[in-house]
Amino acid sequence: MNDPFNAFIHVEKEPLNRGKPGPLSGMPLAHKDMFFRAGKVSNCGSKIRKGWVAPVTATVLERLDAAGALQLGTLNMSEFAYGPTGHNEHWGDCRNPWNPDYITGGSSSGSGAAVAARLVAGALGSDTGGSVRIPAAACGVTGLKTTWGRVSRHGAMALSHSLDTIGPLATSAEDCARILQVIAGFDARDSICSREPVGDYLSDRKTKVVASTAWIERHAEPEVAAAVLAAAKLLGATEAEAPDFDTLSAHCITVMSSEASAQHARWMRERPGDYSSAVRVRLEAGYAIPATTYLEALRLRGAWLERFCAQTLGSADVYLLPAMPCRVPTREQTGPKGGADMPRLLGEVTRLTRWVNYLGVPALVLPCGVDSRGLPIGLQLVARPFAEAALLAAGRAYQRDSDWHRRTPTT
Amino acid sequence: MNSWNIEAIEAILSSQGIRLAPGRAAKIAAALNAGAVADPLRAVLELEADPTSYLLAMERCK
Repeated sequence: MNDPFNAFIHVEKEPLNRGKPGPLSGMPLAHKDMFFRAGKVSNCGSKIRKGWVAPVTATVLERLDAAGALQLGTLNMSEFAYGPTGHNEHWGDCRNPWNPDYITGGSSSGSGAAVAARLVAGALGSDTGGSVRIPAAACGVTGLKTTWGRVSRHGAMALSHSLDTIGPLATSAEDCARILQVIAGFDARDSICSREPVGDYLSDRKTKVVASTAWIERHAEPEVAAAVLAAAKLLGATEAEAPDFDTLSAHCITVMSSEASAQHARWMRERPGDYSSAVRVRLEAGYAIPATTYLEALRLRGAWLERFCAQTLGSADVYLLPAMPCRVPTREQTGPKGGADMPRLLGEVTRLTRWVNYLGVPALVLPCGVDSRGLPIGLQLVARPFAEAALLAAGRAYQRDSDWHRRTPTT
Repeated sequence: MNSWNIEAIEAILSSQGIRLAPGRAAKIAAALNAGAVADPLRAVLELEADPTSYLLAMERCK
């Protein structure tokens, strides 16, 4: 396989499930290298788990296998899914097919790049703070962050159990819907997996869309604002109050840091030098968060969810905003030599994604434009819990009336 | 709000058996201080609200 983007970590000699019947029969997929298959290696983008052989198969892979989807291999990712850019000092940075000097976004970096380059029709990613949506936006593909508990996480690497979700990246909302239809639903092996009935994700429905245009005009870079507001117009969006993105993001960081650092405590004590510097510093910060601060963030979560649904969504189905308020940054700007502006830039990249994980609601990212440098711009649609069907209907409606999702990289 | 300093960061991580990379404590203290937020909902949070209340809110918001 010709992969100049370093998207693949492993390519199967023969795709798995060839000739198998099912609703996804013949659909070529590959997945972030953190979904386990019994007897196969899952490196999780790390040095620590390099060569680790999984003892179980992820529920999502079992369901895709049963649906006849081809599996071509495993895909690059940020180390332990703990980074928003796609840099990886152990396995090499993933490169954006639109321009290799720019980030793919992370942590599902290989998933975004492989779909953008049309090496696969779709890929699974995980999303704890934006890890499906940021690569989807930066690579110009469609990506779905599912409701917390909608898709089983059994057999997938954990980062932050209160926030972790699994979802597809594909070339269209239609294909995301086809994949979600297969992987969604109760699984007793994931203790937080919901018994909420699985919807019909391919059905059409009218959706009412709202947006906070003044916020977008004030806080998004002009090219991003113009593309997103054009999409809002196409979808007939009316005005809504903007959520308190920064407070919700801060709570997300508190929860994510606390849980990720607890998850990694043994390795952080025994072999801290085997983490990259960037991941190690993120993990170190988590040990300084008081338990009371962590628990207070979780105690506030329900109240913030109800406020979002009542005050922002109101009677609407979907809240529209940019996936990122900034244009896609370069790898250099956001890498180890990024300089003094790097923390601010990383904050911008995740500013509009983390709040969604804190609320636990679903969100769909779709391409809605190309900036003056030729890099994609992403639109984000957010809905109430378990309203993936409404999100995907709005996404399909947008993609019927626009062609951004059909554009492919020229590099 | 918390006001972290280098000594506090070093002590709390050391007590958990975590060795800090050189020069890291100052970075972490700055990041934690910058991340502290004044959440308006803290003032109205019921005593009975606990982390599992979120699951009930999800049901109500579907």
